[in-house]
Amino acid sequence: MAFARFSDIANADDAPEFSREKLEFFEKQVRPLLVERCFSCHSRDAKRLEAGLYVDSRSGLIAGGDSGKAIFPGNPSESLFMEAVRYESYEMPPKGQLPDNEIAIFDRWIKMGAPWPKDSMDVAAPKRKFDLQARSEEHWVWKPVEAPSPPPVVDRSWPRNDLDRFVLARLNEQGLEPSADSDRLALIRRLYFDLTGLPPSAEVVSSFNSDSGQDATDRVVDELLDSPRFGERWARHWLDLVRYAESRGHEFDDDIPNAYQYRDYLIRAFNADLPYDQLIREHIAGDLLEHPRMHPRKQYNESVLGTGFWFLGESVHSPVDIRKDESDRFDNMIDVMSKTFLGVTVACARCHDHKFDAISTADYYSLTGFLHSSDYRQVRFESIEHNRDIARRLKELDDAFGKKLIAGLSKAGLKPPKPSQAPASCQSIVDYGRLGQDEFLQDGFVYGSGPLLPGGLYWDGAELEVATRGVARNDSFWDGIKSISEGKVQNNSKLSKLPKSGRTLRTPTFELTNGNVACLVNGEGHVVACVDSHRHVAGPLHGETIQAVQPGERWVRMNLDRYIGHRLHLEFIPASNKRLEVSVVVQGATNAQLTAILKQLDDDAKPFEKYAEAVGELLSDESQSKSELVGNAQDIIDRWRRERHALQHEVKVTSRLAPAMLDGSGEDAHIYIRGNAGKHGEVIPRRFLSAVKGDRPMRIKSGSGRLQLAEQIADPKNPLTYRVVVNRVWHYLMGRGIVPTTDDFGVLGQAPTHPLLLDHLTDRFIRDGCSIKKLIRYIVLSRTYRMSSIADAEALSIDPNNLSWHHRPPKRLEGEAIRDALLSLSGRLDETPFGPSAPIHLTPFMEGRGRPKTNGSPDGEGRRSIYVSVRRNFLSPFMLAFDTPVPFSTMGRRNVSNVPAQALILMNDPFVYGQARDWGKRAIEIADDRDDRVSWLYLSGLARLPTGREKAVAKVFVGESDEVDRWAAFAHGLINTKEFIFLK
Amino acid sequence: MLSRCSSGFGALAFSALGGGQAFPGTTRTDGDNTLHGPHHKVRAKNVIFLYMDGGPSQIDTFDPKPLLDKYNGKDPAKLFEVEPTQFNNNGTVLASPWRFKQHGESGLPVSSLFPHVATCADDLAVIRSLTSEFPEHTFANYFLHTGSGLQGRPSMGAWANYGLGSECQNLPGFVVLNGGLVPPGGLDCFGSGFLPASYQGSIFKPSGSGVANIRPNEASIKEQLEKLELVRQLDGFASEQFGEHDSIESAIRNHELAYSMQMAVPDLMSVSEEPAHIKNMYGMNEAYEPTRIYGTQCLIARRLIERGVRFVELTCPKVGGDRWDQHSNLKSGHENNARAVDQPIAGLLKDLKQRDMLKDTLVVWAGEFGRTPFAQGKNGRDHNQFGFTVWLAGGGVKAGTVYGATDEWGYKAIENRIEMHDLHATMLHLMGVDHERSTFRFSGRDMRLTDVHGHVIHDVIS
Repeated sequence: MAFARFSDIANADDAPEFSREKLEFFEKQVRPLLVERCFSCHSRDAKRLEAGLYVDSRSGLIAGGDSGKAIFPGNPSESLFMEAVRYESYEMPPKGQLPDNEIAIFDRWIKMGAPWPKDSMDVAAPKRKFDLQARSEEHWVWKPVEAPSPPPVVDRSWPRNDLDRFVLARLNEQGLEPSADSDRLALIRRLYFDLTGLPPSAEVVSSFNSDSGQDATDRVVDELLDSPRFGERWARHWLDLVRYAESRGHEFDDDIPNAYQYRDYLIRAFNADLPYDQLIREHIAGDLLEHPRMHPRKQYNESVLGTGFWFLGESVHSPVDIRKDESDRFDNMIDVMSKTFLGVTVACARCHDHKFDAISTADYYSLTGFLHSSDYRQVRFESIEHNRDIARRLKELDDAFGKKLIAGLSKAGLKPPKPSQAPASCQSIVDYGRLGQDEFLQDGFVYGSGPLLPGGLYWDGAELEVATRGVARNDSFWDGIKSISEGKVQNNSKLSKLPKSGRTLRTPTFELTNGNVACLVNGEGHVVACVDSHRHVAGPLHGETIQAVQPGERWVRMNLDRYIGHRLHLEFIPASNKRLEVSVVVQGATNAQLTAILKQLDDDAKPFEKYAEAVGELLSDESQSKSELVGNAQDIIDRWRRERHALQHEVKVTSRLAPAMLDGSGEDAHIYIRGNAGKHGEVIPRRFLSAVKGDRPMRIKSGSGRLQLAEQIADPKNPLTYRVVVNRVWHYLMGRGIVPTTDDFGVLGQAPTHPLLLDHLTDRFIRDGCSIKKLIRYIVLSRTYRMSSIADAEALSIDPNNLSWHHRPPKRLEGEAIRDALLSLSGRLDETPFGPSAPIHLTPFMEGRGRPKTNGSPDGEGRRSIYVSVRRNFLSPFMLAFDTPVPFSTMGRRNVSNVPAQALILMNDPFVYGQARDWGKRAIEIADDRDDRVSWLYLSGLARLPTGREKAVAKVFVGESDEVDRWAAFAHGLINTKEFIFLK
Repeated sequence: MLSRCSSGFGALAFSALGGGQAFPGTTRTDGDNTLHGPHHKVRAKNVIFLYMDGGPSQIDTFDPKPLLDKYNGKDPAKLFEVEPTQFNNNGTVLASPWRFKQHGESGLPVSSLFPHVATCADDLAVIRSLTSEFPEHTFANYFLHTGSGLQGRPSMGAWANYGLGSECQNLPGFVVLNGGLVPPGGLDCFGSGFLPASYQGSIFKPSGSGVANIRPNEASIKEQLEKLELVRQLDGFASEQFGEHDSIESAIRNHELAYSMQMAVPDLMSVSEEPAHIKNMYGMNEAYEPTRIYGTQCLIARRLIERGVRFVELTCPKVGGDRWDQHSNLKSGHENNARAVDQPIAGLLKDLKQRDMLKDTLVVWAGEFGRTPFAQGKNGRDHNQFGFTVWLAGGGVKAGTVYGATDEWGYKAIENRIEMHDLHATMLHLMGVDHERSTFRFSGRDMRLTDVHGHVIHDVIS
């Protein structure tokens, strides 16, 4: 624990004796003030203790609260207490500053040593200590997953597989029987919606009905698992977990560019049955995998796309407190990551140790370190691996030819001079002439494999040059690369307009001690100061973080006074097809110092300039042109140029972009006391949750260490990860998780109804190679899945909440499934997968800043709901009414509410009305006979045939009519029946 | 169990058309949610929240600061410590262009921006010491509405209904009357967050059909009723398919509720039936269109609470320039915004009073923050979250009082400084809800509107 303050209490002070006068002063002047002004929040009688601080005892004041010692007896100016009452840092009491005379009393009291009567000196309320180990021993979820054997059951004929035995045994214990099997047609409707989110067609229903063998069910399950629609269904579940949206919300609802690439990635991943452990790795650290997974046909990097999930949250365009804004963004990232993968609420430990779970504040800030060490980018995912290989070959080629040529020149007596040993400038943040290799960071390859060093050779277009200074320089070899963003709606971010992707040099992260930052550059482009990871530069503030570099400019100055004490790094982006050289970045240098630095670098360069000149003369000296040496050298140069040229043709020039992570320099985070980004506590090294892995720092060689984090999350021994995902799958199929609180396995969550079953499924899942599809297959082919929704009356009276699972309650379809079903029935469904989203349809009730300029069509172009755009400030009223979550945090278990807006939509929404009409029209086209039409509508809409009574009602309603209006009305009526939106 | 629904749409429609009730199609029942409220005496059954989008200036409305006249044009940094601002373009100390006068028996100072509201001075409890944590609109809007600066938390109207249930069976319990300006942060300012969707604010417009999907597509009501009768008959067979389940039955009742809402809304919206003198009170015949729009909103707000709707929020109408967000052109901008809302608000207060409804209706006038006493540029004011003014009126409120104070510049609250959470705690308290007991478990925590904060301001309660 970070602040073990209460252990200090016993020996906080040697409990001095005070004179009677002093004690009297305390009793008459000080204690009444404390009681009146402070006790309501800082005493044992406080309704709610604030900031962990007790002022009702001397030792409590000395021990202090969350922010450390409150008083130093004898030294008021050192005492936080005085700062607070003077409103210098904290402002206490919060309702208004005390009168000066009262402040003076406190000052005098502390100066005299804070006298307090001895007998009441040390009675600070004992506080229950946060004991992480005890908590992890007490709560089930921290215990290892076991492999329980399926229990014996009475009726051995009932179970169809092992999981059924766990369910039946639990029922038997209570003397309960499972409900009967549901009928086959209810089963096929369940399977279609649960696995693909779409209804079975009338033909499918009919043929399934006529083939009653178990084989037929197996076959349907396999077909559905293989269907491309499967991934669309299951990816939508996952999007709920990662608060998926395509805009950033806040004031102007700017784009999250190319967010849909992440959505498409997920759909492909589910369709390909990507092993879950790999899915974790790709989400946490897909950018760092040594062998990223490639798209089987298109050969692009799939793995890196997983990291996009980190950046699907809100973002703010002009935060006044930029560090607080970062801490809020990080909090959301940690919250989403930990709930999604671990089913625990780590974010509850942001301000204090978790109130209930074995998660400390130190745990929380150890995780934020991974985010401080990582960056956002739009990755050129289609070209990155291909061009990585090109970059490798380019380096080999350059190294080989360079070495040959230098050797040849040496033979001719031209040896490069020794580099200057002069120390780097004292204010230097980064000096590309003296940089460690692990500090050379870039997005892409254009800056080569490292900085140019003086005396080294490089190409400038078709010309070979000798470097005279240590600089990072982008290689013209890569000129012409193009990046494609699609689905753009609006983006005010100034950064989004710079050609950054695959063309950005990044300095290591540093702390700003002086706002005057100068960069020694040469060329054309931009320098960007990325302060506290803020990149959404689009408002009145933070414009100074972007600075253009004009040709001919040497020292580019930035005024970053606003950010002193903040962490930042710089990024250098060359203008399109232009050069940008970066040599040194300094902070706090005067003009004279800048001139001196430049002069020193110029002096250092002089011998190399001479060398370069000599090399140039030698190679162009006509008189020597026939000599063997020069001939050879020119021959080398020509071949080098040709081979470079040939290789250049292999560069994958064009690539789409996707949001993704980029590793930065390794950074550990401070604890923010009480979650306050302005108040720093101790630094916590990066590591995983201590309840799982202990609190030793992770050994990280360089970079963020996210890959190691991913491995610890994905470790089969991790007691959380696999239970959580297995439970999610169960929840989506059955309607209630074994742990009903799918995102919270902690103490405040609900306990598993079938703990052994959960471990059985988890163990099996891990042994099955973490295959989601196998798990689904196992569950849906169980007898448990097939239970009817008609509950046994006795079972209901004994177990009214169905905790032991004796029947399957009706499950209301999600908004997406309802809408997709309507499109499917009307024949409007366009099954085209992937790509930029269909724009959201904006009703007159959807107003506000950032409203998209283009209105989407009311039917979303017939695309499945997962392909309709999700704009944070313009969410679909249809989806909201049917409980599609607002994308702000992980939502593994949607609400299932019942609001008039749902019925009004089904009754009166013109979209629903139109689809109903087309469905009715189809019925007329498909059959001439009116009974057949009714049957077809029932088969396609409800996956069953109408009963006699239903037929009779239908007959009365449609009468002898063949009119579209009448059949449309009947179809609309069916859509409004409850069976349409419920699975039985 | 399904027999409960046997009256069906036909019967509802009959009662809807049958007249005889005070409000056709409307029935009032007592709220039945006892777990989360009420916890004590209900002082305000309903809330009308007048949201002043953009942040009206406290020193130009209800918090006079004569010192600003004296130091007008001086550099504020030489006079007091200036905090970072949203636009970082601070000018000189800017005196208020409006004059303050004391009004009513209470002598409450109100500026000349609000001549009509000034006539209600004795009904107001003015809080001059509210603070926010955020100087950016969106954060501050979410904070004002949900108690958190981030998107996704339930709005106060959702919490009020969660705590007390709805007293109106055919209208939603939380209605947002959108005059034209949806605040930055969007409709999620009125969302239900992690609470069930039934607590969501429903967006009504003060014109046309009022609500989305309230107008049937069928050519006649008869045709729709016939269809709904078909649905009722088919749903009558549902138990054969599902067995008996509350979820199915509630969904069936939900359809009936939707239908009765469809029937109730046109009646709600027909403000033209109101007598001329009432419409005049609300400013509905004024020349200035935004005044007419806001007047209609205020009148519909009264009609909503008459029908038992628990929480009504009004957003501002468009006045051409900006919302109350005068980064420049303070004079004309504030004058237009005030002109739009002044007479309608006064009309609302007086109308509620004459109907004896003000005593159990809480009216709250608030923006997301205030404005700086120094200029932004030459003639604007930047955002100021350190001390600003809101007022309460009606149910349980100590009328004709001023609570709290800002410093001599009107910049920062120094006396009885309160937080947004305190305002929320007080509002809930007046509604009979203990803000610490009305909780909802989400994400491993017992969430509440006031997070882990909030103190009821007893000094503004009568």
